[in-house]
Amino acid sequence: MKTLKKKIESSFDNINITVTDNNMDISIDKNGIVTLLSFLKNMGYEHLALISCVDLPDEKLLEIVYILSAYMENDKKFTEKEARNIIVKTRIPRDKANFVTVIDIFENAEPYERELHELFGIHFQGHPRLTPLFLELEYKIPPFRKDFDTRKFVKQFFENIPAVE
Amino acid sequence: MAETSFINPFKAIKYLFKKPKTLCYPFELKEPAVRYRGFHINDWDKCTGCGNCADICPNEAIEMVKIAELVSKPEEGLKDERPELDYGRCCFCGLCVDICPPGSLSLTRDYFHIHFNTDTFTFIPRDEKADKDSFVSDDEYSVLKASLSHRKKDYRGFSPEIEYALFETDRVRMPEISPKKRKLSFIEQVIGYKKEEAISEATRCLGCKLCEQACPAHLQIYEYIHAIAEDLPEKSLRKIFEDNPIPSMCGRICMKHCEDACSLSIRGDALAIRWLKRFVADTIDDYKKALEITPGKSTGKKIAVIGAGPSGLSLAYFLRLKGHDVIVFDELPGGGGTLRTGPPTYRLPLDSIDKDVNYIKSLGVTFKFNTKVGKDIKFDKLLKDYDAVFLGIGNTVSFSTRVKNAEKCCLALEYLEDNKIGKQRKVGKKVIVIGGGNVAMDVARETIRLQHMQHPKEKVVTKTVSLEDWHELPATEEEIEEAKEEDIQFNPAWGPKEVVLDSNGNIKGLECKKVKSVFDGKGRFAPTFYENKTQFLEGDMVIEAIGQRPDFSFMGKRADKLQFTKRKKVKVDKNGMTSIPKVFAGGDIVNINLDAVTAIADAKVAAEGITKYLLK
Amino acid sequence: MRELELYFGPQHLGMVGNFSITLKVEGDRIKKADANPGYLHRGFEKLMEYRTWMQNFPLVCRINVVEPDHIELIYSMGVEKLAGIDVPLRGKFIRSIYCELARVGSHLFGLWAYSNMLGFDTVAQWAMYHRDLVLDLFEELTGARVYHIYIRPGGVRRDFPQGFEDKIISTLHSIGGKVPDYNATFFENRLFEKRAKGVGTLTRENAVKWGAVGHAMRATGMKYDIRKIEPYAAYDQVEWEVPTRNEGDAYSRLLAIRDEMIESVHMIFKLIDKMPKKGAVYTKTPNPFQWKIPAGEAYVRCESSRGELGLYIVSDGGDKPYRVHFRTPSYSHGLTILEKVLEGESIADVGNIMISLYVVAPEIDR
Repeated sequence: MKTLKKKIESSFDNINITVTDNNMDISIDKNGIVTLLSFLKNMGYEHLALISCVDLPDEKLLEIVYILSAYMENDKKFTEKEARNIIVKTRIPRDKANFVTVIDIFENAEPYERELHELFGIHFQGHPRLTPLFLELEYKIPPFRKDFDTRKFVKQFFENIPAVE
Repeated sequence: MAETSFINPFKAIKYLFKKPKTLCYPFELKEPAVRYRGFHINDWDKCTGCGNCADICPNEAIEMVKIAELVSKPEEGLKDERPELDYGRCCFCGLCVDICPPGSLSLTRDYFHIHFNTDTFTFIPRDEKADKDSFVSDDEYSVLKASLSHRKKDYRGFSPEIEYALFETDRVRMPEISPKKRKLSFIEQVIGYKKEEAISEATRCLGCKLCEQACPAHLQIYEYIHAIAEDLPEKSLRKIFEDNPIPSMCGRICMKHCEDACSLSIRGDALAIRWLKRFVADTIDDYKKALEITPGKSTGKKIAVIGAGPSGLSLAYFLRLKGHDVIVFDELPGGGGTLRTGPPTYRLPLDSIDKDVNYIKSLGVTFKFNTKVGKDIKFDKLLKDYDAVFLGIGNTVSFSTRVKNAEKCCLALEYLEDNKIGKQRKVGKKVIVIGGGNVAMDVARETIRLQHMQHPKEKVVTKTVSLEDWHELPATEEEIEEAKEEDIQFNPAWGPKEVVLDSNGNIKGLECKKVKSVFDGKGRFAPTFYENKTQFLEGDMVIEAIGQRPDFSFMGKRADKLQFTKRKKVKVDKNGMTSIPKVFAGGDIVNINLDAVTAIADAKVAAEGITKYLLK
Repeated sequence: MRELELYFGPQHLGMVGNFSITLKVEGDRIKKADANPGYLHRGFEKLMEYRTWMQNFPLVCRINVVEPDHIELIYSMGVEKLAGIDVPLRGKFIRSIYCELARVGSHLFGLWAYSNMLGFDTVAQWAMYHRDLVLDLFEELTGARVYHIYIRPGGVRRDFPQGFEDKIISTLHSIGGKVPDYNATFFENRLFEKRAKGVGTLTRENAVKWGAVGHAMRATGMKYDIRKIEPYAAYDQVEWEVPTRNEGDAYSRLLAIRDEMIESVHMIFKLIDKMPKKGAVYTKTPNPFQWKIPAGEAYVRCESSRGELGLYIVSDGGDKPYRVHFRTPSYSHGLTILEKVLEGESIADVGNIMISLYVVAPEIDR
């Protein structure tokens, strides 16, 4: 794992890597995401498990998280594929949440990005269809952000429905 | 795998002739398992109304409602509320069963309820003893009529088990000096919590607040325990000082009514509230810097307080916060009142008392020690010069048994005072203590230490003689246990008959007679004896510790105007004022609990009363 | 030929769960498929931010209606990793036995769905009956048949009742004794082979490219099982093998499911033998009202009956989770792979492919 860490650190700058028992955490500036992900895919981490997002309202940032792992065949010994999960994180500003898509590298990223667009309001450039996935109504504030007031929404929406006789 | 074929599937024809596995419901029933999670039942005899089930429910399905037939008993930790369930929200997870401290809530194996009226789905669960109509026996039960008011008897399901409960039953052990070592000197018995132990103990609190109702002074116990759990001792101290200005003393000798009402004490160890208060008081060295309390704007009124005990000190603090000028008179050389002379050093050392008193002094209260009202200053002068007077004089005179030769015995209060702040008394090798209360325990445990210190390596014994039998002893269980550990011998249900002297006039022993009963049919103190059953206890010193009373002689003629209640306590109205105008009273002369925290509660009442009186 | 747009909607005899697909067909062949999830979105991840750590575990099992046990396990594993708690050995064995029983029940449910969709009700009813026997075992252990709410952070909620191991063994013997009948009637049936062979083929490169997990990956020949790669609970204490197949079509996937079920049954017998007879089943956690977990994040994963189940959990030092995100196996199977594999198949095979990929609608929407 140390060899992998050195390789990554030598090829990229503005990067921060920590290693904790078989998992690697990488934080990188938002401009280097696409190159880093294709680099990791070439090293053998072909499985994109999850694209997630964490809302940080105090720092006015949204943190996008990519989790990669390798399809390890468990009857071979691993050499450089020792890190089980790699978590790649980057931050984008909250008010103008625009980012690039990674569908060219990992084809199964399409529904994850569609979901993040709908629930957090992030616009992914280059995505073929950014239509709503789960929700039917339009919301002014994307629902999973921390400033979405759930009590107010329940009062507004459900108390206007007439009771069943 | 074998070859696929068209013929193989016809092997299934044999099932045509077997019995089908269908269950003809509702004519054939399937028994739910023993641990099934269905509707609730609640045992109202065990339920205390604490509300923990309502706090933990993830769907907010439980609400506590007031029940008209029940009576609230705060000192035992019982509230008059019971849980009400909304079955539209309940998900039958069973978390309420696992957190219930007395173990009264459990789930049954009933799960049917069909009704046109939706109000019946909100339900206050009872159990089979209380609600005989809803629970029917097996032959009367029919699944076609099953509902929340037609359930089976003896049909318990998921029940509470103490080893799987979600709360922690064991207390963090308080480090103490062992009995063998501690009876040789006056070292303070309790060592005190370290910071990690205190935080770990404070996180046990469930937040039901039954303790706050049981405390006579209604301290904000949940707030200050929560502040300790968050590692903020200054915030905790500020919360304590809103209601109690003597935490260092109370943290050592309080009678802990709160711990008796604690929910955790029903099936486990109570939360160590007194030791946590002691931890806060000991951790902060400088109260003034941590508290930042400033007295109110000066009002120009002067109040005299007689007695610097818990009630006098608290009253001085509360009145000073409102801006009045307060002067406290006491005949002892320092503050604390009976707490200074009574509890021995191994329970309440003097520097703990002085820490609290010095802080109150630093707020601007004037203390005049070594001043006895009635001798050094007249009571009438106080009435003339001051706008109000408070009597916090406490019980300062010991009773005597007045048996033959009782004048040769020592009295408890003077014995304890001399040993703590005066000249140490000489004790014999076989000492007998008459009495069964906390003062007698203090006297006996102090004597055994003095015996080991004054007669080292010799055989010494201390015995107690009390009218009350084991189950009626008025001393607290803690004191009796610790006295037994220090090898004090008890002789319960024996009364003193005569102190026997030898030819030189020195005490030889005590002749005792067997007690028949202590209280009469109406609960009044009226002991009766078997005059022929006697025993002789050997001893070279006898100490009497059978009770104390106040001394009103300093008031002169005005003492006749004081009115008393039927239990011989000073009568005060709801503002704390006695029958003499301008004179207020509180503490041991007014209440029947006879402890420090009730004295603080009396002082709070009197502070409000004095302020209202002065505004007139 | 003209193109027609069809709604393979939420109410359809070949559909299991509330899920719909929009098909653009030409004749009988599908040109393009668009998955429409969202009928079961309940917003679990936002709801969990308003409840404390201990109040969340009754809520979590409702994410997957068919097999809630692995989701309870993954939530507790995530909280334990964040807080640094270890589970005692007997608790780990109980968790493994519990999860393997859940896997057997879930595969029987899948067999019911598949043979019902094909129109073959006999085997469907047998599978449902045997699943009912497994649910009876769960009712005796935990108190409920479907939503068990049994695994809590720190261990499990109650110990085995008296004589429970013998009940498990006798139930599994009665199910296992019927395997020759299942084989003869369903798996060795020429009709089933004709319906399922060559349908919905997933090659190895496509599986890697499109993110397939679980039995869909094992049917293409790769031995990919999280229980062997990152062992959790007591899976490293017994010996067992990962069954694989080679062709990658619906036929191999069903056979892989059957082999996995038989392997689970053998594994339960071995686990019961090796389990310590006495011991604590959980570690004490602090007061549920005041439990604060230090700030941090964790990603844990386990192998549910549908594939790799993962959880990304973030704590900010308080008494409630800050962000929770479940990575469910039906997400990539139902949204990416289904759309790509359906191109060129006939309309009658839509349900066939969907159920052989084991897509369950509540897992996609959460």
